[in-house]
Amino acid sequence: MTTVVPAQQSRGGGGSSGLYDVLELILDRGLVIDAFIRVSLVGIEILKIDIRIVVASVDTYLRFAEACNRLDLESGPNKSPGLPEVVEGITENGARAKTKGALSGAGDTVSKAAQSVADAIRPSEEDEEEEPRRRRPARKAAPRKSEESS
Amino acid sequence: MTTYVYGIARGEVPDLGDRLLGIGDPPLPVRALNEGELAAIVSDCPPELKPRRRDLLAHQHVLTEVSDSRAVLPMRFGSVSSSDDDVRSVLAEHADRYQDQLNRLTDRVEYNVKAVHDEDSVLHQVLAEEPELRMMAEANRAAGGGTYEDRVRFGELMAGAVRAREVRDAKLVEEALAPTAEDVRPGPESGGWFVSLSLLLGKDAADPLLSAAAELERAHPWLKLRINGPLPPYSFVES
Repeated sequence: MTTVVPAQQSRGGGGSSGLYDVLELILDRGLVIDAFIRVSLVGIEILKIDIRIVVASVDTYLRFAEACNRLDLESGPNKSPGLPEVVEGITENGARAKTKGALSGAGDTVSKAAQSVADAIRPSEEDEEEEPRRRRPARKAAPRKSEESS
Repeated sequence: MTTYVYGIARGEVPDLGDRLLGIGDPPLPVRALNEGELAAIVSDCPPELKPRRRDLLAHQHVLTEVSDSRAVLPMRFGSVSSSDDDVRSVLAEHADRYQDQLNRLTDRVEYNVKAVHDEDSVLHQVLAEEPELRMMAEANRAAGGGTYEDRVRFGELMAGAVRAREVRDAKLVEEALAPTAEDVRPGPESGGWFVSLSLLLGKDAADPLLSAAAELERAHPWLKLRINGPLPPYSFVES
């Protein structure tokens, strides 16, 4: 679904709803003037994790394999899965429920990495309202890296 | 006391009083430093400034408020000068350059678009379009899931096929949305989406973009778009 997050928001909890999506613009774009110093952005470089690196891990491969193992293959060959009515068709419902995982798993990895950034950038903000995605227990991106090389 | 700079605005900005609050805890009042035809939007800089969520939002909020009524060049978060006078001298020294950019960005806003895949749809698509992968999937299933090596090899091929569709669809998104904008820049590389595009639009001219995005999602239901805007034109200032 297309969502538009208006920038004109109050400074209350509502104002943070779009922060995740504009974070890298505020931190990585905008005018830089040599005569000014920039504060050190410790931890921010984690944000630059390339999704391709995350996808290219054994862990992800196994999840893809697992998800495909559960997919309802019979629904595939005679239909064009590019069409919504096929993908979301009745026969797929069981498989859909079970196959949530491969891609969302990969996405999870990334959002965990992003989350550790979010953690890093607000070390003392416990008093503020959290977005739902940030309520999940923090898991670091670092262990993922060791799995990539295994 | 150091000075935190939010952005550079055109024209004389009146005393902002305590109306606008910026970074810091408690939030510091924002003021304007007028210099010729330009004004720097600044506040004091709190000690130990870090990119906290609250401060990032405050930076964004100040720019949004000020750009409501005038053209503003947004600074990147965390720009600090040693004094108000230093900020004024920077404005004076580079006035022409900033004026040019302000002219270009007057009544312009940025919209950022990010696209992700619907997970199930794209896996189905791969298996339907690539017979070899489909055969491997069937063989693995017949073998009770396949060996570890089988699964890794198959999963790697799947990941590659998914990635290829990300590249294809990134192009699709750009081709569909770019014509609605005056200018397009790729967003910073980051994770969580396969394409991020920033588009420069006229103020109140987002309808064509929103329509094109809706049409894109309708025609390609495996695409999910997230649109953020209007934003200060972060991606369209030249340092």
